[in-house]
Amino acid sequence: MSEKNPKISRRKALKAGATAAAVGAVGTAVPGKAIAGSEEDAIIAAAKKAYPKGQDLTGIMWSNYQRAVQPVRQEFAAATGIDIKKMQDISVFDIPARAMAEALSKSGEFDFFHMDSNMIPSLASAGLLEPLDAYMKKANFKLNAVGDFAKLMTYKGKTYGIPTDGNVMVQFMRKDLMEDPEERKAFADKHGKEMAWPETWEDELELYKHFYPRYHSGNLRDRGSSMAWWYMYLYSAGGFPFTDDGDPNIDNDAGEYAVETYLKYKEVSHAEAPGWGTPQMIPRIVGGNVFACQYWDGIIALAENPNKSKTTGKWAYGQIPGSRHSGKLLKRSVSTPVVSLLVNKHSPRKEAMAYLAMYTATGKNSDIVTGDRVNTFHDPWHVDAFKDGSLSQTAYTPNGVQGINDCLQVTCPALFVTGLLEFETELKRNLSEAYTGGKSAKAVNKDTTDAWARAARRIGKRRLREEIATYKSLMPTRDVPA
Amino acid sequence: MSTTDASGIPASASPGNKRQVTREQGIRRFKWTVLTPLILLMAFLLLPAFLLQGYFSFFAFSIFDAGDSSGFSSYFKASEWVGLDLWKDAFSDTKFFNAILRSLLFSAGTTVCCFVLGFGLALLMYRPFRGQGFYYVFFILPMLTVPIVIAYTGEMILYQNGPLNDILSRITGQRVMFQFLYAKEVALTTIMFLETWNWTPFSFIIMMAGLASLPKEPQEAAQILGASKLRIFWEVQVPLLRPVILLALILRFLEAMAEFPKTWGLLQGGPGSATETIPIYIFLNAWQYFDISYGAVLSYIVMFLMIFIIMGAIWLLRREKKNLDDMYQAPNQEG
Repeated sequence: MSEKNPKISRRKALKAGATAAAVGAVGTAVPGKAIAGSEEDAIIAAAKKAYPKGQDLTGIMWSNYQRAVQPVRQEFAAATGIDIKKMQDISVFDIPARAMAEALSKSGEFDFFHMDSNMIPSLASAGLLEPLDAYMKKANFKLNAVGDFAKLMTYKGKTYGIPTDGNVMVQFMRKDLMEDPEERKAFADKHGKEMAWPETWEDELELYKHFYPRYHSGNLRDRGSSMAWWYMYLYSAGGFPFTDDGDPNIDNDAGEYAVETYLKYKEVSHAEAPGWGTPQMIPRIVGGNVFACQYWDGIIALAENPNKSKTTGKWAYGQIPGSRHSGKLLKRSVSTPVVSLLVNKHSPRKEAMAYLAMYTATGKNSDIVTGDRVNTFHDPWHVDAFKDGSLSQTAYTPNGVQGINDCLQVTCPALFVTGLLEFETELKRNLSEAYTGGKSAKAVNKDTTDAWARAARRIGKRRLREEIATYKSLMPTRDVPA
Repeated sequence: MSTTDASGIPASASPGNKRQVTREQGIRRFKWTVLTPLILLMAFLLLPAFLLQGYFSFFAFSIFDAGDSSGFSSYFKASEWVGLDLWKDAFSDTKFFNAILRSLLFSAGTTVCCFVLGFGLALLMYRPFRGQGFYYVFFILPMLTVPIVIAYTGEMILYQNGPLNDILSRITGQRVMFQFLYAKEVALTTIMFLETWNWTPFSFIIMMAGLASLPKEPQEAAQILGASKLRIFWEVQVPLLRPVILLALILRFLEAMAEFPKTWGLLQGGPGSATETIPIYIFLNAWQYFDISYGAVLSYIVMFLMIFIIMGAIWLLRREKKNLDDMYQAPNQEG
């Protein structure tokens, strides 16, 4: 679908939303005439009941995420008088540490934190987060997400977050190169088989090697965000980072497979990959230097925007590869960071914030947020975003949303336990040492196990044991997407 | 300094003695009047932090056990007596030990580089010349640049396909693809290079001040006696500048030990752990892992290390000052 011919324009959707909100506001303002209609109306009614005079809110949100939420926020403000008046602009990667500092101070200054939901266990354990179930019940609101995605917002049976961003890893393949007859012939001559969509990491590596060094891998290998790939390798090999008893569980076959796969991509990665995060890699992807990658789905909208990309129309999106290491084909994507609105328990305005958060996550509003073509940081997760004619489908292309849908069905969380930052940092350090310095996969797993064991002792084995049951319940039930 | 008059009679025995003692007392009184509020302020601001840090280095605090309870006492309730366990952990922590070594290497290297360049510039600049003001401002510009901006600017310049490699390629006529940032053997040197660029002006300013305040008489005397410029530099200027040189080196070294923004902004301690210096390691423990107690222990150890270095530095400074005083006094006594 082209940008010039969308089935529903953004303007139309906003207009419809504003009308709905206004009608809802009028309806609730007249006693006995409340309109039992959309989920937006129910949220507005609950918010107005709790805060008849409206409420000013404050929070922390990265500016990259602010613009796309603005129309929905303004609509809610017009209907209820509840609005975010002050926002502290901090990178989403830095908010976790900042939120932990807020937990330490137990301050009620910020009403919300827009950040990775994988931090829910740490922040809930530190007493910072407000469970939202009671407010959701009052507003008759439910998270209607694809697959098991909504479970990522829960911890020990309570809902602590409202997602604005699906942020799942999707497979990107340059279809123009895959369909090039000369490339196909050269590949077939060398490998004795046709070039095809990769089913496993090994298949993908074979394809990369064919195109390298003309094109390099777009998978990250920096110390900051490349953990996401390790998760996919480990989970698809049938591994799980902890035993039920709360002990590290990576110094084993699956763990070694994950690290070795991580390291094998060095052959087909750019020499500067150890230092490239998204700011460096995204221009390479949309600039045409990359043949394939697993990447956060927001880049689809960017890659398909002709004003910002040299590769518009050249990509195919779909299922990420998997592994047969466990004896059967397992495909496991990962959602991290799942950027969500988390409400501060210490805030005296927490209920107002809870309603505003819910309002951004209704079918209609979530599609407005994730369907923004310019501010593509919020990616589709709501069931409605995947329906024909949705704004998200226009922004991400039908093939793109199909790819996102497939990957959401098998998506997994990052380490969903208290101490996420510590566990991840220790692993990142070791992975990076292996990637840049020749440390063996075995040594990576041993050193990480030692560091994790120390962290686990500090955090408390009893706590970890309880959390691991929750963590396991978030894992997808399908082996591969339907 | 001894107080003897020309006749060799101790000053305390002379008729002016009473007035002089009163003056010394006055000076002492004035010093204490000025210093007391500062000492009290330091005690009120720093002492609680030291004590709290000390407490948490023996009582392991976990933010995850603070739970829902609020108030200051909840922090103490959420901490558990562990004695010297955390200290033992720190002394057997190879990552911490490596971070100390990296910091010492980084600080020593950048201190020497900053000093040599800063002193060189100061020698070129300390005599008045036309346009001196412009160059002065130009040379101190790097010091006025925010370190985090230097990190990002450095990143853009130092990419493999960045302008520096491009310039080197044009000069050598060969395609230079040097990895300044992401080769683990080079990364720390790259940060040292940026640190040197950032802080050479600091050494430059100190050395400029030192050179400008040198007494002219010994230099003129040496000149009249026919000493070459090089000899005047080595045998007159440098000895007279020794306390200033030492001060420039010490201050720069201490500042370099605390370098954080460029290292974190550019490489976050990576690649691998190649740039994981003391500040990065403590930051990770305290603000990423929220292991406040272990962070407190590491901070204490670093503080003791720094006190040791500072005491050594003060001893050196005193020795230099005494040498200088002796040097000045010797001709007077001879006279």
